[in-house]
Amino acid sequence: MRALVNAVKTGLTEIWAHKMRSVLSFLAIAAGSVVFIEAFSAIFSTYERMEKQKAVSGMARLKISQNYSKTYSSPDDYVPPPVITYEDVLHLREKMPELYMVSPEGRDWHNVLEYGGQRVTSSLMGVTPEWAKRDFVYTLKGRFLGWHDVENKLRVCVLVKKAAPPPGNSFDKTMMKKYNFSGGFDTLVAHNDLLGKAVKIDGITFMVIGILEELPYSKRPNTILGRSQEYKILAPVTTLSHYGFIGSYQSLDVNIDTGSEQDFDESLRRINNFLKIRFGDGDFFIVENQLELIRDRISESLKSSLVTISLGMLAFIAGGIGIMNVTLATVFARTREIGIRRAVGASRGDIMLQFIVEAVMLGLIGGVLGSALGYFWGVPVKVMLAMDPSHIKPWMPLVSVLIAAFTAFAFAIYPAWVAAGLKPADALRAE
Amino acid sequence: MKISCSNLVKTYEGGKSGWPALRGVSFDIHKGEFVAVTGPSGCGKSTLLNIIGLLDEPSSGKYEFDGRNVLAMSDGERSDARRDSIGFVFQSFHLLNRLSSLENVCLPMRYAGVDAAEMKKRASGLLHKVGLKGKERKTPLELSGGERQRVAIARALANSPKVILADEPTGNLDSVSSRDIVDMLFALNAEGMTVVLVTHDREISARAGRNIRLRDGRIE
Repeated sequence: MRALVNAVKTGLTEIWAHKMRSVLSFLAIAAGSVVFIEAFSAIFSTYERMEKQKAVSGMARLKISQNYSKTYSSPDDYVPPPVITYEDVLHLREKMPELYMVSPEGRDWHNVLEYGGQRVTSSLMGVTPEWAKRDFVYTLKGRFLGWHDVENKLRVCVLVKKAAPPPGNSFDKTMMKKYNFSGGFDTLVAHNDLLGKAVKIDGITFMVIGILEELPYSKRPNTILGRSQEYKILAPVTTLSHYGFIGSYQSLDVNIDTGSEQDFDESLRRINNFLKIRFGDGDFFIVENQLELIRDRISESLKSSLVTISLGMLAFIAGGIGIMNVTLATVFARTREIGIRRAVGASRGDIMLQFIVEAVMLGLIGGVLGSALGYFWGVPVKVMLAMDPSHIKPWMPLVSVLIAAFTAFAFAIYPAWVAAGLKPADALRAE
Repeated sequence: MKISCSNLVKTYEGGKSGWPALRGVSFDIHKGEFVAVTGPSGCGKSTLLNIIGLLDEPSSGKYEFDGRNVLAMSDGERSDARRDSIGFVFQSFHLLNRLSSLENVCLPMRYAGVDAAEMKKRASGLLHKVGLKGKERKTPLELSGGERQRVAIARALANSPKVILADEPTGNLDSVSSRDIVDMLFALNAEGMTVVLVTHDREISARAGRNIRLRDGRIE
């Protein structure tokens, strides 16, 4: 312990005596520290986002949709292909009650919504309450569609209120202007409190029972699969079929979450089997295995995280090499001192300890400097760039300091070993 | 305390067969002796002193320091022996310029694990003894050559060694300072300290109790 205190004292004296050298070493390690904190927070945010996405989207996802290559045949021998109806979905549900979600979707386009004398173009999506089980990135005002609504084909609907686009995303804004033919719908929903009001859709009166407000961009976990559809008005799938919004020739898409990754393959097999029994061998439907897609996306994301962390580590290694260089130079510059210390009784261990402690102190001070920079600089910069600064956690600088000290330690071992290995008589002769 | 060397050979690496510094040197030094090692430049005086002081190892031969076979000692044991039993005084002082006189004297005690208060007390006492009272805070760069060598002597005495090894301690000093330093070493010897001194100076060697004269790595 006393030896350590001595080594710390000597180290501080040396660091103070060679200010320029010390500052350069601090900076080398500090740069590593800053990069590492950034890398750390990037990885942490990726991980957090992934976890959120997994929770929101689920992993074991499937989608049944029509195989369009089988839909069209030559006009002469046209036989309408089979379609998935709500009854088919109910049947599947009955056969496989263990599935977490079986959510049918049927769509109608170019619908006219009328309210308070305004007429805007929109689109309709027929769903069941199961729709809300996954990818629910909204806050709900009022209530969502219930089984009662579906079973009784009630004319009720839920409107989706779009969140403001992320700040500075002018490209999106321009694209929205250009392509969003129902831009008037968003404005209507944004500026009128439609909850509990009656609206007309293509002349048929619907009651607005709920408003789904999209979470703002900064708080929304991007769903892994992304939204293939843009949802505007949700209504019971049965109601839309009953009133002819969804034609009898139109097949429903079915989004499925099997509930567990373990049973996924078995569920997939059974669903394929179900389709075969019900619709024959014609391959009229495609079952998309979205689990693979999700896994690919996650592993891609992890790969990019590894690249980021390896950059951080590389920065530390660069800092470590800087410290090693400085320590080696110090050993050569202080060879005679090593000889003197050995002559008055310092052991090899004492000399080794002295140089390692000195390097670790360089690393520690550099690490603290870098962490402070990374934290107190990184957070405001992120706020300025409208990025989420919450991913720089207070423990990250701490870990970064520890890693800086450890890097310095690891890279000082060789120079310290060189110093300790010098023969006292040879060291004393050094100029 | 006895130093016993028999047939010490030291060959430095280089050339085909190396360069022989000592070619079989045998002698004994007993407790309380004042021995001057003399001889022309390059005769192996400093090499011999380094070997006696456990700073270097002989290539062959036998060396017993205080009854222990030095060749069988580990590096750590040799460090301990240097710390506890040997005090060095070098021609170029070999003080650490960043440390004060007091801290320089404390250095051997630090490695011996002496308590801080005791260390300072003992170091001040030693500086007082060598006539440097009031100069404890001065660094070597602020002292004259003679004063630096006194600091070095105080440092050599820090852990109450059994022998003082001085390698041309007056080589870098003017005549007045030289006499002071030599007088100090003789005074220590008078108190019972064993002193081995390497010197060119005939006057000093004449005062020594015994001379070991080296020529071409052998005792004349």
